[in-house]
Amino acid sequence: MTVIRAALDEMFAVIGQMVGSVFRHGLPLTDKIAARTALTNFFLHIHPVRVRRSWIRMSYTLCLGGLSFFLFIVLTVTGLFLMFYYVPSTSHAYQDMRDLQFVVTFGGVIRNMHRWAAHAMVITVWLHMARVFLTGSYKKPREFNWGVGTLLLLITLLLSFTGYLLPWDQLSIWAVTVGTNMAKYAPIAGPYTRYLLIGGRVVGDNALLRFYVLHVVGLPLAAFLLMVVHFWRVRKDGFSGGL
Amino acid sequence: MATEARDRIAARDRVEQRRRSVEAPSTVRDDSEDEMVVSFPEFVFKEFIAAVAMTAFLILVSVWLQAPLLGQANPGMTPNPSKAPWYFLGLQELLSRFPPLMAGVAFPTFVIVLMILVPFLDRNPSRRPSERKVAIILFALYTAIVVALVIIGTFFRGHEFIWDWGWVLGNPQTCGGSPC
Ligand code: HEM
Repeated sequence: MTVIRAALDEMFAVIGQMVGSVFRHGLPLTDKIAARTALTNFFLHIHPVRVRRSWIRMSYTLCLGGLSFFLFIVLTVTGLFLMFYYVPSTSHAYQDMRDLQFVVTFGGVIRNMHRWAAHAMVITVWLHMARVFLTGSYKKPREFNWGVGTLLLLITLLLSFTGYLLPWDQLSIWAVTVGTNMAKYAPIAGPYTRYLLIGGRVVGDNALLRFYVLHVVGLPLAAFLLMVVHFWRVRKDGFSGGL
Repeated sequence: MATEARDRIAARDRVEQRRRSVEAPSTVRDDSEDEMVVSFPEFVFKEFIAAVAMTAFLILVSVWLQAPLLGQANPGMTPNPSKAPWYFLGLQELLSRFPPLMAGVAFPTFVIVLMILVPFLDRNPSRRPSERKVAIILFALYTAIVVALVIIGTFFRGHEFIWDWGWVLGNPQTCGGSPC
């Protein structure tokens, strides 16, 4: 009996150690435990350990920056899933989209989520900018972060736009034809810019590959880097808080 | 040796104790807006709720609302009108009204540069809405214009990007039976 008892005790001790190694500080029942948890947790350290109550009023940020970031994560995850099935060539892309829609289990829902989250992100980023403007939060010392934000807005639009071409249906190809035609009008560099962007004179295989690479690697990396800087600056400048 | 260490610890505890009692008034909870609260778990919980709500919303919308997938791309058949994605329709609208160099290049560049410069152009140090009437009116105007252009581009532009009430009043102009 005692042997079994001892073995059980040992087992519980080991389990306790395992749980303890993940959840180091137990339930956040006091401020002190909560603060220590926030301080030592990688995923929580993006937050200040202590915040002024007025900073975290939802009626102030409306959660819009956070939601923009969350949508970016949703887009990354659903996008990864789509990449398993999608081949960026004019002979495959459209059929792959149809397969996703009609054959792949949950393919349609994931594709829809990716699509609607992209539209939603354009809207939340825009509204976040409006919130920052209307609360005057771009004023000293946050001028720089407003600039970083402006670049993030541009990249969000470009991400959406490059994704628009990928289904390779009549909507994509002509929307992108119209869109890239705008680049043509720049003096001198215009026609070259368009040529560089779509790798030819018409939207074809080269354009599809370029947009794909930009959409799944180039622009997300740029966005991620800018977000890291953006969040870092929010911490360093201090959150603007109540008016 | 051991006693020494224990004394040192006791001394440090006394200092700590004194520091705390001096600071005590500022750490008393007052439930005011200025009170410092720990961000975890209260704030993290709010974020969690927002994320869950957004996920639920997205899944619901995605189950009910099918993303568009038209016929396969056909470089030989230009739909009329050809429209840019909605967030670029404002630009397309401007292009249909102004010379391309102005609408397609000068205008967007101007807006982007102006936006980055906003914190340096706005010399007013106040952040109170009541003291920033000009800035807020200008921003509202800008928003109204952008939204109006996007709505016009989406709903009021038909064949050849010509003004068309049909999308709203019924009977949009069609090209050979199918919507343009
Ligand atoms: C992908 C796009 C973006 C993401 C993920 C993002 C995320 C965030 C987050 C999480 C915050 C913390 C406060 C809050 O949630 O409101 C924040 C603050 C801020 N954002 Fe963004 N943002 C983005 C785009 C922008 C844009 C377009 C602008 C403006 C042009 C901007 C300017 C700022 C400024 C100035 C702050 C500090 C606000 C303050 O202290 O009150 N951001 N951002």
